[in-house]
Amino acid sequence: MKKIVVAVVALSFLVACGNNSNKKDNSTENKTSKDQVVNVYTHRHYAPDQNIFKMFEKKTGIKVKVINASADELIQKMKMEGKQSPADVLITVDAGRLSRAKDQGLLQSIASEILEKSIPEYLQDVDNQWFGLTKRARIIAFAKDRVKPEELSTYEDLVAKKWKGKILIRSSSNIYNQSLMASIIANDGEEAAKRWAEGIVANMARSPKGSDRDQVKAVVAGEGDLAIVNSYYIGKMLNSPDPEEVKTAKQIGLFFPNQQGRGTHINVSGAGVAKYAPNKENAIRFIEYLMSEEAQQIFTDANYEYPILESVLPVKDIKNWGDFKEDNLGLNKLGENNKKAVLIFDEAGWK
Amino acid sequence: MKQVGNRNVAFSLKTRLKRLKRDSNRWSVFTLVIVLFLALPIIFIGVELFSGPGETWSHIVTYLLPEYIWNSLYLVFFCSILVLIIGVSSAWFVSRFNFPFRKQMEWLLILPLAIPSYIVGYAYAGIFDYGGSMDLIFRQLNLEFIRIDIMNRAGLAFVLSISLFPYVYVSARAFFLNQANNLLEASKMLGVSEQKTFFKLMLPLARPAIVAGLILVLMEVLNDYGAASYYGVNTFTTGIFRSWFSLEEPETAVYLSALLIIIIFALILFEKWQVRKVKFTSSKTNNTQIQRKESKKSMKWLIFSVVFLPVLFGFILPVTQLIYWAVLTAATVFDMAFIIISLQSFGIAITSAVITVFFALLLIYFSKWSSFRTIKNIARIGVLGYAIPGAVIAIGIMIPTLALDKWLIKTLGTFGIDSGLIINGTLIALLYAYAVRFLAVAYNPIDSTALKVDNSIPDSSKILGVGNLKTFFKIEFPLIKTGVFSAVILVFIDVMKELPLTLILKPYHIDTLAVKAFEFASDEMVMEASIPSLFIIFTAMIPVIFLNKLLIKK
Repeated sequence: MKKIVVAVVALSFLVACGNNSNKKDNSTENKTSKDQVVNVYTHRHYAPDQNIFKMFEKKTGIKVKVINASADELIQKMKMEGKQSPADVLITVDAGRLSRAKDQGLLQSIASEILEKSIPEYLQDVDNQWFGLTKRARIIAFAKDRVKPEELSTYEDLVAKKWKGKILIRSSSNIYNQSLMASIIANDGEEAAKRWAEGIVANMARSPKGSDRDQVKAVVAGEGDLAIVNSYYIGKMLNSPDPEEVKTAKQIGLFFPNQQGRGTHINVSGAGVAKYAPNKENAIRFIEYLMSEEAQQIFTDANYEYPILESVLPVKDIKNWGDFKEDNLGLNKLGENNKKAVLIFDEAGWK
Repeated sequence: MKQVGNRNVAFSLKTRLKRLKRDSNRWSVFTLVIVLFLALPIIFIGVELFSGPGETWSHIVTYLLPEYIWNSLYLVFFCSILVLIIGVSSAWFVSRFNFPFRKQMEWLLILPLAIPSYIVGYAYAGIFDYGGSMDLIFRQLNLEFIRIDIMNRAGLAFVLSISLFPYVYVSARAFFLNQANNLLEASKMLGVSEQKTFFKLMLPLARPAIVAGLILVLMEVLNDYGAASYYGVNTFTTGIFRSWFSLEEPETAVYLSALLIIIIFALILFEKWQVRKVKFTSSKTNNTQIQRKESKKSMKWLIFSVVFLPVLFGFILPVTQLIYWAVLTAATVFDMAFIIISLQSFGIAITSAVITVFFALLLIYFSKWSSFRTIKNIARIGVLGYAIPGAVIAIGIMIPTLALDKWLIKTLGTFGIDSGLIINGTLIALLYAYAVRFLAVAYNPIDSTALKVDNSIPDSSKILGVGNLKTFFKIEFPLIKTGVFSAVILVFIDVMKELPLTLILKPYHIDTLAVKAFEFASDEMVMEASIPSLFIIFTAMIPVIFLNKLLIKK
C-alpha cells in the first residue's frame, strides 16, 4: 500500500514539474521565436474549440496556448500584467466584454483584409479592435399547447397584462440578459427600458434562478408559458446526451421577436488582438483562421451557433428554424450601455 | 498635577516598550515575517478599504446590500445549525459506539468534502428537476411526481451544509478520539449517564475543535459563488462579482471583500473572547484512544442509520446522479488525458497541502515560542484568506508578485537578460496562492489540537535544556499528529476542487480536474462536467482512506 502511494505521489510530481519546465522554456523563447506560438485568453470553454485550435496548429505549425477563464477575469489579468502580458488574443462570448476591453486599452487595431471582407460592419468594432466570430439570438421559447405564436410580437410586448405570471427568465447577472437590456436602452431609451424591466419583473412566473436550459424545462413543466433564452442552448438541448432534455426541447416552439421592426437581438462571440501581443502576426493569422470555412463550420456544427461567414450554412437543427431579421444595432452599444443596464435591473428589482 | 500625568503616560509608554523589548525574541520576528509573507495579498486588499468604494456604492447600499446581508445571515445561521448537528453527532457516534460498517463510515463521512459544492448543487438540481432523476423514478413507478423545489435559499443552505459538514466532523472526531478517554472514564466512575456526559462534559470540552471546524464551514459558505448564483440566491459574494464585473467597479468589489474580512475577523475574535478564561489543556499526557461502547443489536442499526444519512445525502446521492450523467456523456467526453490531468491535480494538491501545513505549523509554534503574547492574534490575520473569494485573492496575489516580476525584469534587463514573467504564470505563484487561501484550513485543526497539549510537557523538556525544535519533533509533534494529518487531508481536498484562483494563476498547459469540470459546467453543460467531477472525487478518496488508516493506527 505504502509503496503504491509513494509511487503515485512521485509520478504526479514528475508530471506536474515536467509540465512546468516546458512552460518556462516556451515563455522565454517566445521572443526569440524558435517555436512559433500564439497565446490565447479565452472565455469559450467549448470542447469543439480545442479541435479548431489543433487544426490551426497542424496547418500553420504555430502552437496554440490557452488560458481559460471568464472574460472578466481575463480582462482583469491582462490589465494587471500590462506590458508584460503574454496574451496575444482575447476571445469572449459577448460583444459587451470586447468593447470593455477596448475601452480599457487592452486591444489594438489590426488591418486584415480577410476579416474586413467576411464580417459585416455591425458585427465588428469601428476601429478594427475586435471582430465577431459567431452569432447567437435571444429568442422566446413557448409552450406549444398554451401559446399561439400569433400572440407574440416583440420583447416590448412581453410586459402586457396577459403574460402576468407566465414569463421565465434567468438572473440579471447573466451577460446575455445584460446585453438584451443594453440593446433595449439603445433602441427605446433609458426611461422606456426601466419601465420594461419593471413590467417583466411583474410578469415573472418565479424569482430568476438556474440556467437558460432550466427556463425551458420550466416552460414544459408548466411553471410558466414563455422563456427568454439563447438560441444555441436550444440547439444543444435538441442534441443532448440526456433523452429527457431532447424530449423537453422538442416540446417547445420558438419565436424570433421584433421581426416587424428592428429585428431580433443578437450577440456575438468575438476576438481581438491584445495591445501588447508578443506574437501579433500569429494572432492575426489565428483570428483569420477562426473566420475560415472549416472553423466556422465547426462552430455551428458542434456548438449550434450561427456562423458569420455567409458561405457557411448553419447546422441543420438551427437552419430548420428559418431565416430571421437581425437587429443591426452596432454591437459597441452593448458595451457602452452595459453598466446602465445593470443599474436599471437593480432598480427594477430584477434579481 | 498635569506634569505628573504626563510623566505617567511617558512612564507607561516606556514600560511598554521595555516589555516589548523583553518579550520579543527571534521567534516573534520569524512569526512576523511569515505572517507578512502570507498576509501580503490580504493586506493589499485591506488597504483598499481606505481608498473607498466606487461611485455605485450608494446604488448598492440602496438596492442590493440589505438583501446580501439578509441572505448571508440566513445561510450562516441555518448552515451553522445543520452542520453542528450533523458533524458533531456523526463524530460522536463514530468515536464512541460500535456499529455495523463503522470503519467504512469513518472515512465515508469525510468524502462529501471531495465534491465541489457547486457540483453538489447541480446534482441536486438534477435530481429534483423536471425530467430529472426523481421524475423518472416516479414515472417508472406510475406515481404522481411531487416536485421538491430545491433551488432557493433553504435548498442552498441544505446543499452547502451537506457538502461542508465534514470540516466539523473531522475536527470533532480528532478530539473525541484522542482526548476524551480519561474524562469519559472519570465520568463513568462517578456514575454520570451517557447523555449527561456528552452534553455537560464532552461538548463543552470539544468546543474549540468544533468551533474551529465551524469557522471553516462559515468562511466557505460566505464565499460560495457557484451554487448561490445557480440557485438564484444573492449573497455578499455574488454581490462582489456583480459589482466587479457587471458594474465594472473592481474597487467596490474589493471594498465589499474587505468588509467581509472584517465580519469574519470579528467572528473569530468573538469566539476567542468567549473562551478567554477557560484553558482547554488536558492535564494528562497519556492520550489513550477512546473505548468504544457496545450496544444492543437494534440500537447498533439505529446508530448506523443515523450516521448513514449524511453519507447518503452528502455523497451517495450526488455521486449516483453524477455517475448517471457520466454514463450518458462518456462517449463524447471521456478522454485518456483525464488520467494525466488527474496525476497533475494530485501532484499539485499534495505539494501545496504539505507546503500549507508547513506554514501553519511555523506560524502556530513560532508564535507560541515567542513570549510576546499579542503575536498570536497577529498570526491570525494570516488565516483570513479563506473567507475571501478566490478571484479576489488572485488580485491580491498579482499585485505584489507582478511588482516583483517587473522589478526582476528590470534588474535582469540591465544585465542583458530578458527573463519574462518569472513568478506569474508559473507554479510558484499558484502554490503561493494556495498557501494564502488555505492556511486557515491547515491552521485551525492543528491549532485546536495544539491547544490541548499541556504547556507543562514542552516546558519541562525545555527546562531540561532541550531546544525548541527538538522538543517539537520529539514531544509535541507526536501529540498533535492527528491534527496535522487532518490538516493535510483537508487542504489536499480543497486544492483538488479549487477553481477561481487556479483559473487565473495557472500556467499554460497545466490543467486541473476542477478546471476541466468548470469548462463544461460554466456553459450549462452540467452533465458533461460529471466525468471530471467524478475524477476529482476518486482522486481525493485515495489520501482520505490512506490517511484515515494512519489516524486509527497507533
